[in-house]
Amino acid sequence: MMAALTIEHLEAGYEPGLPIVKGASLTVGQGEIVAILGPNGAGKSTLVKAVAGLVAISAGRVLLGTEDITCTPAHQLCGRGLAFVPQSENVFANLTVAENLELAAALQKVERRERLPALYAMFPDLARQRGLLAGRLSGGQRQMLAIARALIRLPQVLMLDEPSAGLSPRLVAEVFAKLREIRASGVTVLLVEQNVKAALALADRAAVLVEGRERVVGSAAELMADARIAELYLGRHAVGRQASPQFAQAPVPKPLKPAP
Amino acid sequence: MMLQVIADGLIVGSVISLGAIGLTITFSILRFSNFGHGELLAWGAYIALSALAWFAAAGGTEASRFAPLSFGWPLVFALLGAMAGTAALALALDWALFKRLRSQGAITLVIASFGAALATRNLLFYFYGGIPQYYSVDLQIAVPLLPRSVMGGLRVTPDQLFALALTVVTVTGLHLFMSRSTLGRAMRATSHNPQLARISGIDPERVMRATWVIGAMLAALAGVFAGLTVQLRPTMGLDLLLPLFAAAILGGIGSVWGAVIGGLIVGLAESFAVMWIGAEYRSAAAFAVLIAILLVRPTGLFAEKA
Repeated sequence: MMAALTIEHLEAGYEPGLPIVKGASLTVGQGEIVAILGPNGAGKSTLVKAVAGLVAISAGRVLLGTEDITCTPAHQLCGRGLAFVPQSENVFANLTVAENLELAAALQKVERRERLPALYAMFPDLARQRGLLAGRLSGGQRQMLAIARALIRLPQVLMLDEPSAGLSPRLVAEVFAKLREIRASGVTVLLVEQNVKAALALADRAAVLVEGRERVVGSAAELMADARIAELYLGRHAVGRQASPQFAQAPVPKPLKPAP
Repeated sequence: MMLQVIADGLIVGSVISLGAIGLTITFSILRFSNFGHGELLAWGAYIALSALAWFAAAGGTEASRFAPLSFGWPLVFALLGAMAGTAALALALDWALFKRLRSQGAITLVIASFGAALATRNLLFYFYGGIPQYYSVDLQIAVPLLPRSVMGGLRVTPDQLFALALTVVTVTGLHLFMSRSTLGRAMRATSHNPQLARISGIDPERVMRATWVIGAMLAALAGVFAGLTVQLRPTMGLDLLLPLFAAAILGGIGSVWGAVIGGLIVGLAESFAVMWIGAEYRSAAAFAVLIAILLVRPTGLFAEKA
């Protein structure tokens, strides 16, 4: 399978000399959905923000297809085919729904008369609310708008930081169903998730990040069956389950800590 | 009398509004309070004065006057020149000073803006001297719009009416620009969430340059109007700075319409203060209104909601 996104030995952080991502590597194949899991503070969000150009990269490299995009300014990445949906504040609350999408279309030089109807058909809730300020949308609607904005020009890779955060289980199911649709249209999806169960149900593969490095990378089914993943993240007892060979050799992830 | 006070307040307020718009968009996009913004007004006014002097030397102004206004085509071209010159000055200041300090945080930028204000104001003293100057030395007679029998009557000069009308046109044009154009929407988006703006494909430097240019052009317009309706002094920017801040804060930082309404309220407060308690207390009255409104609505009247 051709790689859509390759992260090689990436180091990144907010302060010089204090990396949060410490040599993480990950390959996301064309058309895959890959989830990044891990305890709080593992560097999951920092990793995708670094790839998106929002956090300084101090070592390693990032390839989009075969193009090296390491340290490319954030505003140039969506034009190259990498879209990112942050966890919170991911819509322009002071613009209407229509203005959010029209601005994205204008910036990406997409013919809005062609693209917007398709997006409104995909997200009918947004079509009904197009004149409303985005700041007045519900959490689920905001997430849909953020995803629609990222899809204005079909990206090669769509990265999402915790798309289920703050949503009810019904809305999480809706958002994840949309992600399946998006993948079906040929877009590669990389998402950071705390909702491990839902993420593993959605993803083809997943990586567990601990202290800024990937400790385990495997198929979602393998990780779902892994005893320690089940115990640490899914709240199941490990009886009768075996740790995956990779995970058995990896350091034990730290217990979940409350967010700082 | 009442109508006259209101008209005077609206005329002063229109100048304050134009200046406050620049201040509020600078604050919301560049993320610092630019204490040098008043100097952009003053420079705009003086660049227009220089351009007028050049036109006068080239062929005189009398023949091309728009009766009953005190000026003609030369001032229109001078105004356009002042807007371009002030925008160039703002971009030069950004390139030489603010851009280099952007990563140091808002406090550093604020202090730098104090320095820029001092330097540019003293350059005005150096080039033009401290004596008040005028675009036209002709005395303009106020035109009676309403007789004395109607709430004390109303008289305004044609230049004042022109300034008021052009302010309305400018603010409407700016509103259309901010709400309809891609760059205007990108500016609003950047003011709300700079990080999201970047990952949406908005070039932050381009938006910042546009902010400087628009803010400076409006400041030049306000400066020329102030010169047209009052007089030119190198300290005119400093004198207007506090009312500009009052208007921007009163309207709600980041809101263009807030700055317009805030400017008009400050202008009216100053005008009523002159009538009721004396001209020396006009600034105090504007700030009393500001404090009263902030006590009721701390984010200002029209702060953009997230």
